[in-house]
Amino acid sequence: MTERFAAPTSLEEALAILGRDRAARPVAGGTDLVVASRQGRRPLPESIVAIDRIAELAHHAVADGSLVLGGLTTHAWLAETPEVRSGWTALADASAIVGSPATRGTGTIGGNLMNASPAAETTAPLVVFGANVMLRAIGRGSRIVPVASLATGPGRTSAAPDELLTTVVVPAPDPMSGSAYIRLEYRRAMEIAVVGAAALVTLAGDGTIAAARIALTAVAPTIVRAPEAEIALVGAAADAAAFRAAGAAAAGAASPIDDVRASADYRRAMLAVVVARTVAAAVARARGESIPIPASRWAHGQEV
Amino acid sequence: MTEGNAQHPDRDGSPPDQEPATGSGDGSRPWIRADGQAKATGQARYTADLTFPGLAHARLLLAGRAHARITRLDPTRARTLPGVLAILTQADVPDLRYGSFDYVLDRTLFARDVVRFEGEVVAAVAALTPEQAAAAVAAIEVEYEDLPPILDVEGALRPESPLVHPDIDGYAHDPNLDPSGNVAGRSTIVKGDAAAALAGAAVVVRERYVADMAHPVPIEPHSVTADWSGDRVTIYSSTQVPFTARGKTAEVLQIPEHRIRVVVTHLGGGFGGKCDFHFEGHVAALARAARRPVRLVLSRHEEFIAPDKVTHAMVVDLETGVAEDGTILARRSRILLDCGAYASDTPVLGQIAAMMIAGPYRIPDVDIEAISVYTNRTPAGSVRAPTGPQACWAVEQHHDVLATRVGLDPVEFRRRNLVHDGDEGPTRQRHEGDGAIDTLNAAADRIRADGPLGPGEAIGVASGWWFSAPGASGAFVRIESDGSGRIVTGAQENGTGAVMALPILAAEELGMRPEDFAITYQDTDTGPYDGGSSGSQTTFNNGRAVVEAAREVRRQLLELASVQLEASVADLELRDGHAGVVGSPDRRVSIADLASTAHDGALLLARGSGLPPENPEHDASACVGRLGFESFASPTFFCHAVRVHVDPATGIVRTRKVVAATDVGRVLNAPGATGQMTGGVVMALGNATMEGTVFGADGRQRNASLLDYKLLTTADAPEIEVVFVEHPASNGGPRGSKGVGEPPIVPTAAAVANAIASVTGTRVRRLPMTPERVWRAVTTGDDGATEANAPFGPSEAALAAAGIGRR
Repeated sequence: MTERFAAPTSLEEALAILGRDRAARPVAGGTDLVVASRQGRRPLPESIVAIDRIAELAHHAVADGSLVLGGLTTHAWLAETPEVRSGWTALADASAIVGSPATRGTGTIGGNLMNASPAAETTAPLVVFGANVMLRAIGRGSRIVPVASLATGPGRTSAAPDELLTTVVVPAPDPMSGSAYIRLEYRRAMEIAVVGAAALVTLAGDGTIAAARIALTAVAPTIVRAPEAEIALVGAAADAAAFRAAGAAAAGAASPIDDVRASADYRRAMLAVVVARTVAAAVARARGESIPIPASRWAHGQEV
Repeated sequence: MTEGNAQHPDRDGSPPDQEPATGSGDGSRPWIRADGQAKATGQARYTADLTFPGLAHARLLLAGRAHARITRLDPTRARTLPGVLAILTQADVPDLRYGSFDYVLDRTLFARDVVRFEGEVVAAVAALTPEQAAAAVAAIEVEYEDLPPILDVEGALRPESPLVHPDIDGYAHDPNLDPSGNVAGRSTIVKGDAAAALAGAAVVVRERYVADMAHPVPIEPHSVTADWSGDRVTIYSSTQVPFTARGKTAEVLQIPEHRIRVVVTHLGGGFGGKCDFHFEGHVAALARAARRPVRLVLSRHEEFIAPDKVTHAMVVDLETGVAEDGTILARRSRILLDCGAYASDTPVLGQIAAMMIAGPYRIPDVDIEAISVYTNRTPAGSVRAPTGPQACWAVEQHHDVLATRVGLDPVEFRRRNLVHDGDEGPTRQRHEGDGAIDTLNAAADRIRADGPLGPGEAIGVASGWWFSAPGASGAFVRIESDGSGRIVTGAQENGTGAVMALPILAAEELGMRPEDFAITYQDTDTGPYDGGSSGSQTTFNNGRAVVEAAREVRRQLLELASVQLEASVADLELRDGHAGVVGSPDRRVSIADLASTAHDGALLLARGSGLPPENPEHDASACVGRLGFESFASPTFFCHAVRVHVDPATGIVRTRKVVAATDVGRVLNAPGATGQMTGGVVMALGNATMEGTVFGADGRQRNASLLDYKLLTTADAPEIEVVFVEHPASNGGPRGSKGVGEPPIVPTAAAVANAIASVTGTRVRRLPMTPERVWRAVTTGDDGATEANAPFGPSEAALAAAGIGRR
């Protein structure tokens, strides 16, 4: 049961509490923390630091081409903001399908990353964009950690207990690129990815694939890159055969689990489908074609 | 809401004292239910919202294992923990065996010696705080010797199978049943000689269909608060059946019924999951022992595993013979219903399943057997249209397979075989009206009018029927001194709006407006008996009671008016709040004036109950296990047509449009009836593709949470077009109406299944038709239905797999 609760209004104050109270855990939207507690999976922390009133964490801007997001940036903002939708489309795809409208209005990108779920929606897009986070602790300043190495396992990160995620910096993708995030979903809201994939694809002048980054959701203890799929794409013609080859390569390298939501062989087969469709969507967007956001709505039933 | 803010539910804005909102009096204009605003704005108080001085908190010790012998149960140490007021086990209550519907008296209030399903109640604690109650539950010393869980209905029928109830031969039971072994009940629907007719049929199709168990999942979990005063107890319960809850509490605690008052505040949904007696007895006993009011609220996990009301897992084997022109000649079927650890009402639901497998079709020779089989799963029971959706899903796919075999369009196949006015049913009841054909034609026409199909899309149709449920039910109607009215009813409002619409019926009889009536309801001390919100019966039965009472008040009003207006009663009418002489607009007196007069003498006060309509004439002489559903009273006929998209690569099925055409006899209130249809379709679509309980090999549920047990969301709901066909029933509810609550959930999954088969060219014979199952059927041909012990030889699918065609 929670015995201590603080709601600081400044970053310094929050960091000070996290520094002196080793049991203190920050909470922003609370959409994971409270649900986990109500389901009996994880009791509420002994000490809670509510960071949702800290203005210094609520900023978001495009600076020098990069997207700079305070930890309190909501999924709703990411899903709706034109710059994100046009420049970092995969991130908008992912943010638009988190939970429900209420979850998206309350849940934050900082919370989504630090919760370190293998099924987190925003992580795979941030990985393919090469995003970094800034972790800050009282007395030690800030350090920069790539999103790709932040999570170390389900619910675990490389952050120290007194470190707070303050900022996410997402570099600008190449001009000739397109991105997408697609998950396999059984229903359209309040859903968690059965499998998911983010793709960032850059086209060469001749229309072939110059570069590709792919990250996978819900097939490993953390969000992982799919180098086999990326290799299959680079240099290839941007066509359905290449998309399917990338899917097959990703599925061949993955070792998903059997659980109540899906069998391992279904997950593996679906990974091939989802990766192929995600790359197809990213390529279409790189070509300037319009694929609706979120791409997951568009994806299921596509021929690839 | 805070502790210490003690309020009695009678005075806190909740039922049973509800002021209706505005609406119309003639029943043809929409009537907006009175309780909607309170629910939508959060003012409505549910059972768990009620507070009482000194309220203590209950928690149950559940078995947590599917089948085990209790070798030690000792609450001594737990009783010493801080805040603990009472801990009860079977040793602390009358040690008697009861049956929740008296079909088989197979259970005790708390487990005695053996636990038979994961959610079985072993002990109950009352403590000052919920945390202290939880700590005490954890401290109860209990040891088990695990027994092999019996989880497979076919395996349970083998002679060598261990028994769920080794002492079953000593259990009392309904005289129409013969429970033995792992069989709780067996019912048949038999007409003619099906075996002989099948032998002569041009085409015979044999198939197996398997349905998983599913949950009703009301938003509000079960909640009970018991509050004693002397030797009387008031039980606030989230029940759909207050009188049943009262009766069983009286039985298990050996208290006269008149010392028990069951009150329901607002009910947060039920869908059948709150039919039956559940935890009222446990909490009443706890409150008596604790000498305080005690409240139990189930967690969502407990709500999944503990209440013994889930849909039946079913194994349906079907064999149908048709002539070359598609005329159905005969049907044989065996239905195995997984009734779980306790029989509850499964035996009678088996009989209903058999009637559903016959369906509203002209079938000369029928031989259908339904067997209720004990297992160590959660006991199943009367969830919305119990057995209907699974049975319809099986038989309506079977009909599409038959249609394909004889080269007929599925709609034409049904058109040739559905019953018409005057046709006979499976036990020779005479059908009234052409509702079956009319709904088929309406649904098929509307879905086809919806424009051309896109890639990956197909149309599916499914027809069916469901009964209305005649039963005893009572109401009082009175006119207050100012001319306003009050209905006092025993009926239970479970969210369907059926009780909230009763003023329409009274107002029409009395020339008043529905908003002139208040309703007192959901209190067993106040209202006369009613069977509860189950079996789509509230309007059917309680509506008749209200009409009967209102007619008596009408007679009283006209007599008074006759004196005041010096006119013959025969020349009087009640209209616009007045009694007046027909044709003489100036000669009238207001009902308010008459009521004022009445309050100096004989009051305007009447009761209604009347005899329920009888079931139609039939011949069930060849049937066994007759439990009252040998015929269907005032059956509803319906057809759903769906437009579905299937993504074969993922198995994801999206239903894009549903046309729900239903013959409800007569629409009494269009918004209410439409709401029932819409909600039923959405619930059915969840059952079709997502909702199914997953069990581990240990017999424990693996998806007992809202994260893993997925319901359809609003975002997934398709366009739903509701069509009503009105053929008033001669022996029905008010104005020839029929039950409305259950029919809409019955045929949707079947229609979706037929559309899936049409898109993919393969059939999924396992419910729910999850994406993974659809994908597996598409990629491997595995239809999901195992068939090692099919009773009529190998199925179509098995023969096809072996390369053997039947003809």
